[in-house]
Amino acid sequence: MPRRRSATWFLSWCGLIAVLFVIYLPLVPPILFSVTPAEPGGVLTLQWYLALWRDPVLVCAIGTSLEVGIVVAAAATILGLGAAMAIRSLRVPRLVLALMLLPLFVPGVSMGLATALFFRLAGFEISLAKIAIVQTAWALPFATLIVVTAMSTFDPAYLEAAYVSGAGRWRAFVDVELPLIRSGISGAATFSLILSFNETVRTAVVQGPLNTVQTYIWSTYKQVGLSPALYALMSLLILLTVALVAAFVVGGARTSPAASGVNPRGR
Amino acid sequence: MLRRLLARWAFPALPIGFAVVFVVLPLALTIAVSFWTRVGLVVRPAFTFTSYEAFFAGARLLVFERSFLASIEATVLGLLLAYPIAYFLAFKVSPRAARTVLLLFTVPFLVNYIIRAFAWTWLLGRTGLINTLLMASGLTNEPLDWLLYSDVAVLIGLVTSYMPFMIFPLWLSLSGIDRRLIQASWMLGAPPARTFLRVTLPLSLPGVFAAAIFAFVGCFGESAIPVIMGGVGYQMMGNSIASAMDVLNYPLAAAISTVVLGAMMSLLLVWYLAFDARAFLGMIVRPGK
Repeated sequence: MPRRRSATWFLSWCGLIAVLFVIYLPLVPPILFSVTPAEPGGVLTLQWYLALWRDPVLVCAIGTSLEVGIVVAAAATILGLGAAMAIRSLRVPRLVLALMLLPLFVPGVSMGLATALFFRLAGFEISLAKIAIVQTAWALPFATLIVVTAMSTFDPAYLEAAYVSGAGRWRAFVDVELPLIRSGISGAATFSLILSFNETVRTAVVQGPLNTVQTYIWSTYKQVGLSPALYALMSLLILLTVALVAAFVVGGARTSPAASGVNPRGR
Repeated sequence: MLRRLLARWAFPALPIGFAVVFVVLPLALTIAVSFWTRVGLVVRPAFTFTSYEAFFAGARLLVFERSFLASIEATVLGLLLAYPIAYFLAFKVSPRAARTVLLLFTVPFLVNYIIRAFAWTWLLGRTGLINTLLMASGLTNEPLDWLLYSDVAVLIGLVTSYMPFMIFPLWLSLSGIDRRLIQASWMLGAPPARTFLRVTLPLSLPGVFAAAIFAFVGCFGESAIPVIMGGVGYQMMGNSIASAMDVLNYPLAAAISTVVLGAMMSLLLVWYLAFDARAFLGMIVRPGK
């Protein structure tokens, strides 16, 4: 079908940009409030950002968030890769995919409650591990989808070629397939890290004594309400999320996880 | 030999084991606990419908109705917005531009929705951006009160949270349609509107339902947006579960959760039975394997 650059086409683009504008609008106010000075008439300030580091509870929460984030990014990516291989090699791909995508269709509170009950009855009380597990379960569907999409563009003939050349299953995977689905792997890791940083509801139900940055924001809001320091913290999270996505897009992965065409020249 | 066995089976078995132990098992446990009894602060195994009676008799049934209505509204609005966007991206722009726009839609989704809800309370508030703009342009003389802490506010919060993610399944099913079918319809003399209604729309229904189920379930169990944007006392199902948990009534929380899970499972089952999922998943799962 020839593409017509008609008036409708331009109007559609305008509509699309308007929707994007509305969707992005809520990312602006926290950043505005975070640089507003305490007394009116002053110039822009970064004092609220500096104040963040004087709160020991928050500094501890940032540490927890980083630790959990790294564990979740690694675990969800490895599990997502395994799930993608299971979908390809087992006889019941739809069933495996349905199992992997199940957490997408369970409301956060329900999933949090279920995991909390499970941990309680199992007598499992390690706060850090509980947070990491519940967040990995949340990130896994996304990681699986991203790896599966990358893998679907990989031609299994390359694997056959590796077997013919005398490579074992493991060697063929590491030396041939892995480099070709690299963008899927890095996409899964980036998205899992971002999802971990931005998760509240599930974490809040199972957290135990430890706080993540998100549960700190939620509990501070419920106890004392919003403050410029809290806006500063939210701005940092927004900037971090945008920076991680940008790093992923710029960092070699020229194809988006939504539909990547893996380039064999990428080796 | 052992290494070959591990590479072949252990790696794919790992995520399945993880999902069974940390997703399926806890959800099954929720259903079991909903029949247990609470003695003081201790939860004991039993088989009673007390929690369900408490749920269906109390004011929580109103919360159920409200959640149901709000979720339907948000889902329909989301579809009306997401479908044209997905259609435009699938048929009218280059794949490269489509991928860029899809990535742009994921960024706000990834930013914590609680943070976005806080931002909306300012945007919609009496002294917020929207009321300021409305008054400056002379459209209204007084700030609109019903923009925040109302059904409208919750609806805005829900639609802006879930609509971006509805675009993906819609785009996936629309771009998977065989173009020759559309061309055939055109060649047989059908005008564009008729081609859309009789060919494109029916073929994209699996995506429509996937998007609708995702949004409906998400809205139905939402717990933060109603609290932040609905104002004091505004509750949806997620809040019901959370408030039952706050008073340590785990059987009641589990019972409400089971009702939500049951609604979700029946929707998924309808989807699974009504559509050939392969037509939809064929895009991402290589067939014939």
